[in-house]
Amino acid sequence: MTTVKPILLAEDNPRDAELALAAMEEHHIADKVVVCHDGAEVLDYLYCRGLYKSRECGNPAVVFLDLKMPKVDGIEVLRTIKNDTNLKPIPVVMLTSSREERDLAQSYALGANAYVVKPVEFQQFISAVKELGVFWGVINEPPPEGTESAA
Amino acid sequence: MPGWLSRWPIEQRVLAGFGLVFASVLVISVVSYRNTAVMVQNSRLDTRTYELIQLLRSIEEALVAAESGHRRYLVTGDESYLRAHQAIVEQMPDYTRYFHALVANDSEQRDSITQLEQLIKQQLDIEAQAIKQRAEQGADAVRHLALPGVAKRELETIHRVIADLESTEQRSVRARVFESTSSTHNTIALLGLGALLQLVLLGSVYYLIHHDITARRRVAAELRRRGELLQAANKELEAFSYSVSHDLRAPLRHIDGYAALLSKTAGPSLNDKAQRYLQTISDSAKQMGQLIDDLLVFSRMGRQEMLRSTVNLNQLVKTVIHDLHLDLQGKKISWTIGSLPEVPGDPAMLRQVFMNLLSNAVKFTATRPEPHIEIGATQEPSGEVTIFVRDNGVGFDMQYVNKLFGVFQRLHRNDEFEGTGIGLANVRRIIHRHGGRTWAEGAIDHGATFYMSLPLKRTA
Repeated sequence: MTTVKPILLAEDNPRDAELALAAMEEHHIADKVVVCHDGAEVLDYLYCRGLYKSRECGNPAVVFLDLKMPKVDGIEVLRTIKNDTNLKPIPVVMLTSSREERDLAQSYALGANAYVVKPVEFQQFISAVKELGVFWGVINEPPPEGTESAA
Repeated sequence: MPGWLSRWPIEQRVLAGFGLVFASVLVISVVSYRNTAVMVQNSRLDTRTYELIQLLRSIEEALVAAESGHRRYLVTGDESYLRAHQAIVEQMPDYTRYFHALVANDSEQRDSITQLEQLIKQQLDIEAQAIKQRAEQGADAVRHLALPGVAKRELETIHRVIADLESTEQRSVRARVFESTSSTHNTIALLGLGALLQLVLLGSVYYLIHHDITARRRVAAELRRRGELLQAANKELEAFSYSVSHDLRAPLRHIDGYAALLSKTAGPSLNDKAQRYLQTISDSAKQMGQLIDDLLVFSRMGRQEMLRSTVNLNQLVKTVIHDLHLDLQGKKISWTIGSLPEVPGDPAMLRQVFMNLLSNAVKFTATRPEPHIEIGATQEPSGEVTIFVRDNGVGFDMQYVNKLFGVFQRLHRNDEFEGTGIGLANVRRIIHRHGGRTWAEGAIDHGATFYMSLPLKRTA
């Protein structure tokens, strides 16, 4: 339970990001959250390049992925992650406003681990983000590093 | 084209055209056959005529030979001159048979032939008598006969009768030739006319079919074009509602979220009024979120592909009531559920219908001391079934019955009964997509009845 792995939050909307962080703060996991503002940044982080060239390499505990993002959208990021043997074990949770069937179907088809529709109501949003953060960032035991091909 | 003809469907007009062509072919065939039969008959009669003439000429020749032979015998007594006479006497029965065969069907000629036979017999008898006299009494006894000939007069008559017979036959041959020629002309003219008529008829049938196919092609092309337009419009609408669902929710989430954060950080220092304002901001955002969600569901109901299966309404109503009971929290409602049929339809959509109708009934009977809800069905002679949901709830004023099924139309204030007013609009849209109708009856404080008709057989 004392994992130091970060939680990667891909969210282009700074308000949504702030609200998500506020929710995680209630459970004191906000300091583990890394926020990326578009799909390209997410990929930069995962591949330790660009802005994240100097970061200590290693997969995050979980990626919370918005669908609609500038540059590279969530579906594209999900496809890249699930097609890369190194990144494939990372749990990916789609966190989006869309309730559209095709988004759900496509996400699961590409290998998303969960799909959560952001509730409009803040209380519900807080509890959803909190539960997700706690479950995937704290409770869930992430796959060990270096077992990429076995996973 | 006359009015009555253009009222006929294309199939009947084409059939009528082909019928006329067939009838004209039939008429031409019958007439041609008759004409040909006449010609065949005439040619047979011609053959007979030629045979008869030939026969008459042979007999005439033989008679002349017999007569001159017998005279020579009378003079010379040389019996070799009697050969011709003997030959014709021997052959006469054959000739008679032949005659009768040839004129079997011709009564007029038969009489002439009978007369001719008698004359010949007479002639031959006289000759035979003279020959006998010469043989018994010698040349002197018949000398007076030998020179002028005993049967000269009869022979003349025979010549005349034969000539008459011949000319009669020649006349009828000429008549037949005339008849055959005109009949051939008629046949050729009829065939030509018939071919022309058939050409015209087939031409008009072709025109009809061609015209129809062209019209159909045009309609098909127009339908295809409209289908494409509709598809494009539908795609646009889908993109629009997708955008609404994704983009419109975000600011609402922010309004509610920041109101909550503000209330959390500044809450203790705010007075009651300010706190109430914050609460109102948050409530409004939530309500709008609910409206957007409802509108999206409504729009999806209209676009969604319909599943075609059979739905057991009895079972459906049971599960819906079971699910509603979970939300009733001990409220006592007495249910009366009649026997409901199986109908063709989309199970999820029909479930939505009963969910909406029954939750409405539960909602609007909540204030009653003894809530009662009845569900039943009556079979219509038209092959439809009418299903009703009746409650003893607060009811409604029939004056506003037309507003009931509209989108976001409400007959009650929000603080009386909650809801966005989309439920009955969804009901109507789903029932319409199933090929049915919806209507309602009610009176204030005397409950409401919601009806829907559904076809029992699948419509195409």
